Amino acid sequence: MDGTLLFQSLVLGVLLGGLYAILAAGLTLYFGVMRVVMIAHAAFVILAAYLAWWFHRETGLDPLFSMVLTVPLFFVIGVLIQRVLITRLRPATLTMMSVLLTFAIALLIEGLLGLFWSGTQRRVQLSYSGDNFEFFGARIAVVKLIAFGLAVLSLALLFLLMKKTRFGLALRATIQHREAAQLVGIRTDWVAGIGFGIGLATAAIGGTALSLDATIYPSLHWSWIGPLMAIIVVGGLGSIPGTAIAALVLGVGQSLLQVELGTTWAQTLFYVALFLTLMLRPQGFFGGRLAQRF
Amino acid sequence: MPGWVRPAALAVGVALVLLFPELVPNAYVLSAGVIVASYACTATAWSFMGGFTGYVSLGHAAFFGMGAYGTGILIRDLSLQPFLAWLLSGLIVLVITIPVGIAALRVRGASFVIVSISFVLILLLVSQAWEAFTGGANGLNVPRPFADLYRPDHHRIFFYLFVALLAVMLLTWWVIDRSRFGAGLKAVREDEDKAEALGVPTRDYKLAAYLISATFTALAGGMYALWFGDLDPIFQFSILLGAYMVLMALLGGVRHLFGPLVGAVVVGSALEYFKLEFGDTQLHLVFTAILLGIVVLFMPDGVIPAAGALLRRFGPQDTSIREITAEELLERNRAAAEREGAAAGRGGGKPSDGSGETP
Repeated sequence: MDGTLLFQSLVLGVLLGGLYAILAAGLTLYFGVMRVVMIAHAAFVILAAYLAWWFHRETGLDPLFSMVLTVPLFFVIGVLIQRVLITRLRPATLTMMSVLLTFAIALLIEGLLGLFWSGTQRRVQLSYSGDNFEFFGARIAVVKLIAFGLAVLSLALLFLLMKKTRFGLALRATIQHREAAQLVGIRTDWVAGIGFGIGLATAAIGGTALSLDATIYPSLHWSWIGPLMAIIVVGGLGSIPGTAIAALVLGVGQSLLQVELGTTWAQTLFYVALFLTLMLRPQGFFGGRLAQRF
Repeated sequence: MPGWVRPAALAVGVALVLLFPELVPNAYVLSAGVIVASYACTATAWSFMGGFTGYVSLGHAAFFGMGAYGTGILIRDLSLQPFLAWLLSGLIVLVITIPVGIAALRVRGASFVIVSISFVLILLLVSQAWEAFTGGANGLNVPRPFADLYRPDHHRIFFYLFVALLAVMLLTWWVIDRSRFGAGLKAVREDEDKAEALGVPTRDYKLAAYLISATFTALAGGMYALWFGDLDPIFQFSILLGAYMVLMALLGGVRHLFGPLVGAVVVGSALEYFKLEFGDTQLHLVFTAILLGIVVLFMPDGVIPAAGALLRRFGPQDTSIREITAEELLERNRAAAEREGAAAGRGGGKPSDGSGETP
């Protein structure tokens, strides 16, 4: 492997890691507020990508503008999923049953996508789809940079929301200790609902970013949910900074391995990392105490 | 319910299952019956882990696929006798599952589900990428164990083989259910911390249940490979297959011996019907999704308890004192007081109005 190639895949890895980070951030947020592993997250990502593709086909506008519609829509769907469906489950079996419930939602989305838009592979064609630029000898596609920019921007917003606002304080309190948060007057039910909505809104952003640079088909979400779940376990369940770091490290790792081993074997990195994490440090490498018991 | 109903129902059920190949109109329905029988095996195998310990694994397709591929590869490379390969493959999966189980059972709840799904996804990747060993996307051809039989006879034999495997599983389930081991597993399901505090060796018990469950699933997979004869990574290592097992077991009710079997018959027949009617559309996914959602939201204990509750509501009232309304109690008390008064021959004493009685 020569220097340019190494640098090229390093840069691509960072860009990919950014996308992984925003997608996994939503997943870790749901886990934080509700102890729910949201299997349908990747399915919503693909749904957002399909909506972006459809928006582009129908209106001719840039798919990025579809976010004006999908982000609020997904926010509302997220709140509804938490308020209407998840709260119905018995607390004692919440973790297991919510996995099955969100699995059912994922299947429903996959099935409906197949019914409406068939199983054909779709791709957004844009005037700048093929554009590249040079960055210290590495060739970088413009669409990948846009996706990365979008991911970084929304992660930064999420971070500010969590750290600087009153709502973020309430959200973090709910994540840390639900009962204590209730005692100081936080309406944890609604905070959890809105947390879910924000998580799903990140899926809309991530899905739109994905649609710029990926061929999409209904069952694609299965190849995303595995890596994303591995990322949140390695990062420590419930910790957003931990998730971001794990996403970057694994994204770069995958990109580097891809050169030597090809795409399929490079993907196994996520699962190897997952199993190693569970063997060595089940609470995750960057996370807090949350994961220990879940 | 009189005492003879249960054994009689069991005998009728067994007779119906055994006569099924004779009753069906054509070979297609027979082959659908074989598929349902294989679903019943996998759902029952799943419930050894998911039912007894409450650890929901969405990745049992991994064991099914390994059992199937193991059988096929052993026959192909070592030219073993088919059923010897089948047994050996089950044994190999048992050995492979030990480290996987130790890793997966270090965590509870959410992480366990993540590990179980990841295990299927990793095996899907490996079986697709390692073409020299598994045949990759071209599939793996497993020679038939009974090469000189016609198709309907082949289906019939495998129907009975699956039923025999199922009978072994149900017997094992029944024995475990009545054992100290089973009680320990159920304690894990209800409250793992308390069980551990009371001295139940939770880790070893969970691992043992996991191994039993995985091995039986692998045997069902190997049997499927011998019957179907053609393996493809996408269908063997599919998350959907694992989801079917969970759906069937939950629908039927994991706390009942025949729960997963009932669920497999309901869901399996419905799936076959959907495949026949709607072919390659994605409608079966929508159906599975909606059914799973309904089961999880409204009857997480399965149809057997749900149907039982419904029967009790419409059937005759149970003879519990709590089933009597206040007026009925008042009426009865008054009648008793009058009888007492008549028997005593005088109308003295306080007439009981029943207000002091608690229903």
